Amino acid sequence: MIDPVIVASTGIALDDFLPIFIYSTLVLVFGGFYVGIYTAVKVKVLKNWTMPLAYVFWLLTSFSLYKMGSLMHINEFTAKALVIAMIGYLLLPHAIYYMQDHVHEENEHEPESI
Amino acid sequence: MASSLTSESKKLATWYFTFAAIIFGAQLLFGLVAAIQYVVPGFLFELLDFSIARILHINALVVWMVFAMFGSVYWLLPDETGIETVGIGIAKLLYWIFVAAIVVVILVYLFIQVGPADQTTIWFITEGREYLEAPRWADIGIVVVALGFVFNLYATGMKGNRSGIVTVLMADMLAFAGLYLAGMGYTDNISMDQYWWWWVIHLWVEATWEVFVGAIAAYGLITMIGAHRKVVEMWLWIEVAMLFGSGILGIGHHYFWIGTPEYWWEIGALFSALEPLPLVAMFIHVLYDWGKMQGEQEAKGEAKSVITNKPAFTWFVLNAFGNFLGAGIWGFFHTLPQVNLYTHGTQFTSAHGHLAFFGAYATILIGMFYLAVQGKNGIKVMHATKKSIWATSMIVGGVVGMTIALTVAGYVQVLVSRAQMGATWAGFFDGQSGMWFAQGMDWRLVMGVITFLGFLILVVDLLSIGKNAKHER
Repeated sequence: MIDPVIVASTGIALDDFLPIFIYSTLVLVFGGFYVGIYTAVKVKVLKNWTMPLAYVFWLLTSFSLYKMGSLMHINEFTAKALVIAMIGYLLLPHAIYYMQDHVHEENEHEPESI
Repeated sequence: MASSLTSESKKLATWYFTFAAIIFGAQLLFGLVAAIQYVVPGFLFELLDFSIARILHINALVVWMVFAMFGSVYWLLPDETGIETVGIGIAKLLYWIFVAAIVVVILVYLFIQVGPADQTTIWFITEGREYLEAPRWADIGIVVVALGFVFNLYATGMKGNRSGIVTVLMADMLAFAGLYLAGMGYTDNISMDQYWWWWVIHLWVEATWEVFVGAIAAYGLITMIGAHRKVVEMWLWIEVAMLFGSGILGIGHHYFWIGTPEYWWEIGALFSALEPLPLVAMFIHVLYDWGKMQGEQEAKGEAKSVITNKPAFTWFVLNAFGNFLGAGIWGFFHTLPQVNLYTHGTQFTSAHGHLAFFGAYATILIGMFYLAVQGKNGIKVMHATKKSIWATSMIVGGVVGMTIALTVAGYVQVLVSRAQMGATWAGFFDGQSGMWFAQGMDWRLVMGVITFLGFLILVVDLLSIGKNAKHER
């Protein structure tokens, strides 16, 4: 005998799937713009005045992640995990650039060894 | 043209790259067969069924990448350590054993195909585990070859100059070889079997392979744009920490629905959400170093490019984008359990698999092929050719096209097969009979053909670009 089918559902509305996929894409696309602009300003490819744009993109990233989580009806734990991820996205380029720049400066004052 | 290579390790690397390119072609060819079978289901029926074409397609993918990875390590070892690879004779012998084993396994897949479904099948035909279908005898052979490779790496690293890149590779390749053992046990409990099987698949692809890519990218940045070693190696350590930090427990996203405890939902969600972070970091890394080195060059009043191998560097930059796009975005699409419940096992997974394997690994390994061509032909600055531009454009366009087509098909499955019909038997078939799904499969085939044609041009380019007179020697 075949067991009855168990239909599992997390309650996502049919019309919400497309927005979920679009918002999850935007999370990383906007995130990419955030770190891309931040890095480009730091290496002087872009002018300093464009830096606020980077933070606007971080805000857009956060908004997209919030919308994605809401549409998915995520539980409390996952919500906390996503908040940690967003703080990580915000701090990451700063921390990396800080270390990078110091190593670079140190390196420029020492003979290169390859 | 005679080879400019004096290092035996580099010569061995070119053997590895050559065999990798052949198996890469086989992967694409059997992928095309499987893609045609979605559109014309009777194609090669009972001669080369979909199940066999698929085995060949995905196993060839793993094999050519492993060959190219071993080749990459043999290529960079003399540069990094300053000495010839220790035990190069053993390495050459193991290469031929590896090649012979792979050829026999492919012939068995092609001509024997199925066995009596007992121990004979597991030992001599196929173990039946997706991606790791190799029969048990070949498994043991692979372990022997991998241990020999690890010996070469460790002995050379300990005798010569152990740079940061070599140290990372030593740790990474030991994990790479050791993890394979997790997939060699046997249990008739499918949940337990899948639990260990993911140790090989996930921890290879989303941990050790990604770290390998970080190390190769570091080597490439030093050799191709003259990036400062200290800076590059500092980045590498950050990437290693982030990749292992998020990737190891990111395995939880494979444990959502296989009978493992529910706490994996939370672990998988948390670490999967963090997994794109190192990919973003790697993306910044390439941008930063490229911008910084070009800036230093221009500050000296020299306007020319710092890049010494244009085709290889193009593939390395594509790797930074492709890793972010394929593994990052297409992975993030469906990594949380709430949405993965609907996407799991649909063409969404396939779309992610195609773009992630290509973006994260194929790109950088093709870049290594070009670095080897440059070294073999004694070229100082290698420029792009029309063929290299066509090959790159067609392969990238083809794979991106396949990914989009599969995403559309997967979206139909999510809506029809899962959300509307609750993952039932009828839902499975209804999802695949819709117009959008069928058109998705048609377009996947068209884009697959474009990819294959691009690959043929790539092979011609790799064989001829070294002889082109436009390069600086």
